[in-house]
Amino acid sequence: MRTGGAALAARTSVVLALLFCAFGGWSYAQADGDESLAFAASRDAALDDGKRHVETLTGFDGRKPEAALRRWLDASTGPLREELREAKTKTGPTARARITDAALTVLDDRTGTAELIATVEVETDTAGSGAPDTERKRLEATLARTADGWKVRSLAAVPVGGV
Amino acid sequence: MGAVMSTGEHVTTAVPGPGHRPARHSEPPAGPSAGARPAGHRRWRAPAVAALVLALLTGGSLFLLKAGQLTGAPSADNRALTDTEATARVTGDVSNALTSVFSYTPGDTGATREAARQLLAGKAARQYAELFGQVEKRAAEQKLTLTTHVVRAGVTRLNGSSAQLLVFLDQVSQRQGGAPATAPAQLSVTAELGDGHWRIVDITSR
Repeated sequence: MRTGGAALAARTSVVLALLFCAFGGWSYAQADGDESLAFAASRDAALDDGKRHVETLTGFDGRKPEAALRRWLDASTGPLREELREAKTKTGPTARARITDAALTVLDDRTGTAELIATVEVETDTAGSGAPDTERKRLEATLARTADGWKVRSLAAVPVGGV
Repeated sequence: MGAVMSTGEHVTTAVPGPGHRPARHSEPPAGPSAGARPAGHRRWRAPAVAALVLALLTGGSLFLLKAGQLTGAPSADNRALTDTEATARVTGDVSNALTSVFSYTPGDTGATREAARQLLAGKAARQYAELFGQVEKRAAEQKLTLTTHVVRAGVTRLNGSSAQLLVFLDQVSQRQGGAPATAPAQLSVTAELGDGHWRIVDITSR
């Protein structure tokens, strides 16, 4: 009788463990196949990468122009990257950029394209010893997904009174 | 239970001995060693069952953990762009609200004040009320007309009843008889949903 009870307990625990494992597998399959979860993850990745790259592309280190250009090339892709490559090294005052807010307006996860708007505060060193100029910009960028994350395909100021 | 689940010819009634368990599934028909088998069987059976149960529980837990990481990620809570209908609604409501509360004509600031009363709440409503007194005075004195257009708008965060947006505006101001001047404005807006309408509760200029 005792062994019968033990066998029953053993079987019951195996069946319960099996059910638990099956439920876990099912939950995982559901979550993994949920397209809106994948879309949400792409959205956050595009916004994070886009903010970082727009900040890079808006700033410039006048003391190390070659390094600045290399960072620009790393942050861009497609037509913008070609344009920057043509530009070779440029000189100019140092500008520090800080994204104050950014949002995606369009995201196409299938084709890997997105549009981003951002407000940037750019602090540019003046030629003399005066205080740096601070400028607020509103920008619009097109992003494209690459093997190395989302990159900026085009970047432009949103014109005032342009619509 | 053991009896019910046994297969083949070895049913309980055939082996009544104490402590002797019915032979089960893959066991070959009882031979000369049949008497020794159940004891050996039992010896490895308990650890095997325990190992199986442990493996299944571990597997199930890992699956649930992975599923939880996917569904519980902060990105999953945010419905900006994933819920296109809700995203379009909040963008539309907030754009309309900004257009209404930041547009006025010298003769009709009352309509703007009324719009603000309906479309703004919380901190945004208090800040607006503080400013609007001066605005009304200036609008009347200088015969100033302000028209606001939404140029771009994007939703950064959206869940059940709260949303965060970034909105680019063009504001055209014109004195009576003067030329219109357009100025840009960029606002980070927090909105809350109540009674089926999005109301702006906070505005930060960027």
